[in-house]
Amino acid sequence: MKRLRGLFLLALLVVVLPILFPDNYYVTVVAVSAALHAILAVGLNLLMGYAGLISLGHAAFFGVGAYTSAIITTRFDLNPWLAMAAGILLTGCIAFIMARPILRLKGHYLAMATLGLGMIVQIVLVQAEGLTGGPDGLGGIPPLSLFGWEVDSDLRWYMVMSTVMLLVVWLALNLIDSRSGRALRALHGSEVAAEMMGIDTTATKTGVFVIAAISASLAGSLFAHQQAFISPDSFSFFFSIELVTMVVLGGMASTFGAVFGAFVLTFLPELLVVFEDYEVMIFGAILMLMMIFLPQGLFVGLQGLLRRLLQQRAPARLPAPAEEDKHGAA
Amino acid sequence: MALLEIDGLSKSFGGVTAIADLRFEVPKGQVYSVIGPNGAGKTTLFNMLSGIYRPDEGSIRFQEREITGLQPHKVAAMGLSRTFQNLQMFFNMSVLDNVMVGCHLRTRSGLFRAALRLPGIVREEREANRLAREELTFCDLERFVDLEAGALPYGVLKRLEIARALAVGPQLLLMDEPAAGLNDTETAEMQRLIRRICERGITVLLVEHDMGLVMRVSDRILVLDYGSRLAEGTPSEIQNDRRVIEAYLGGEVQYAV
Repeated sequence: MKRLRGLFLLALLVVVLPILFPDNYYVTVVAVSAALHAILAVGLNLLMGYAGLISLGHAAFFGVGAYTSAIITTRFDLNPWLAMAAGILLTGCIAFIMARPILRLKGHYLAMATLGLGMIVQIVLVQAEGLTGGPDGLGGIPPLSLFGWEVDSDLRWYMVMSTVMLLVVWLALNLIDSRSGRALRALHGSEVAAEMMGIDTTATKTGVFVIAAISASLAGSLFAHQQAFISPDSFSFFFSIELVTMVVLGGMASTFGAVFGAFVLTFLPELLVVFEDYEVMIFGAILMLMMIFLPQGLFVGLQGLLRRLLQQRAPARLPAPAEEDKHGAA
Repeated sequence: MALLEIDGLSKSFGGVTAIADLRFEVPKGQVYSVIGPNGAGKTTLFNMLSGIYRPDEGSIRFQEREITGLQPHKVAAMGLSRTFQNLQMFFNMSVLDNVMVGCHLRTRSGLFRAALRLPGIVREEREANRLAREELTFCDLERFVDLEAGALPYGVLKRLEIARALAVGPQLLLMDEPAAGLNDTETAEMQRLIRRICERGITVLLVEHDMGLVMRVSDRILVLDYGSRLAEGTPSEIQNDRRVIEAYLGGEVQYAV
């Protein structure tokens, strides 16, 4: 099972950490939000890293999921799992409807359009006070429960969140390593060539946009139940940017890169607290240095570095280029 | 019976006519070349045939079915594939994956089935892998299988584009300047490859500037000038056509066939 080696490694880490460090704040609290961010980043990476479509409004889908769960469980007293499904359905529909007009655009224009989408959703969350509670937010969201097993402690949330994260990573790995995954990457490489290979690029773009939105909605529902209280601040433009940073920082077009980016960006501010007033400045400087020295992203860059080191030890045999290829190099 | 029938095809860009009332037929199983000076409308013609541009007027019939104005992926599904003048490789993918993308139409699993890795996916993957390797071997690229496309020299990339287009399983292959930028050895190899593609029963429609290659490899030739048909015929007919010699070949050039 070479294909899933990374996933098993990640699962092992998830199991071992709380055993080695029980009741550790970083494991039971910070790692939970890191896992949440990882779910979001892996979804966004399918869109950005693999298909090459930028979204600066991903927090909107996260917000729609969270608010759907919150509203349905608090106002209508319905089962949280049902609410979660409703959130996914609603977000999926919104993404499907928005995909066609938005994904016709490319590059900066697509960035602008998704930015607008994110802002519209946030404004609705703030203004529709009757439904969303407005800027004051919504409280009293019940915890999740699984066949009578209440998810009510930090450790239990750790279990749930990391399980969902592993599941999402598994789905993403499967997807990328398939016909559809190749179609996504081909779209990124050359849209016209992808079309010529028989790929319906419009449908493929719509599909990946919906999948990214659905995974964000799922994360949103989990977030709402975990926090028990949500307000529009959590779904702002800045959070969208943070998600993009996670994907880019970890390394585009790498699922584990996205997970890594999410963990780094969640843990780093926590660890930099010791610098007090200089915290944000040092955080920014670290980000800049990382991008300058590892432009392919932290995870992908370090992976490459490691591979080169190993190759120096045991030089791999490269295919011998034939005579004509040397002349052919242009 | 002609595989491809073009009738009354026209296209202009902002008042500049690229193709004007063009009519020709490509017989099945042949290498059919389109030549003409730069700006004669060759690439515009290819872009219309493959569905990238919509013609202003006229019709394109492929295998006796109207394909005018169809989207490229639908045209591809009907058995028409192409390569590009300026390379359109998937540089973010490996050599094998590039060609496996070409197998897209021969496999059918969708996004959700793939994500859950439902039964059948593994077998389908293996099948696509086998098809892709076959085409790579056909184009003499098997030693590059595991490399990234971005690591290959230009001459190899030209052949990789062909392998990818063949993986689609086309009836008709449009080749847009396959020998551009190649040296003599590579051009000779390209000539053999084009003939071998034709021997597989795939009709080849070729746009090429290398006249030597065109004359040696083609069964029939269409000469375009300012978007319309100047002459059409076998290589020897074209070489002896007065209008062609005056307008294009320059009067005194002769080629051995």
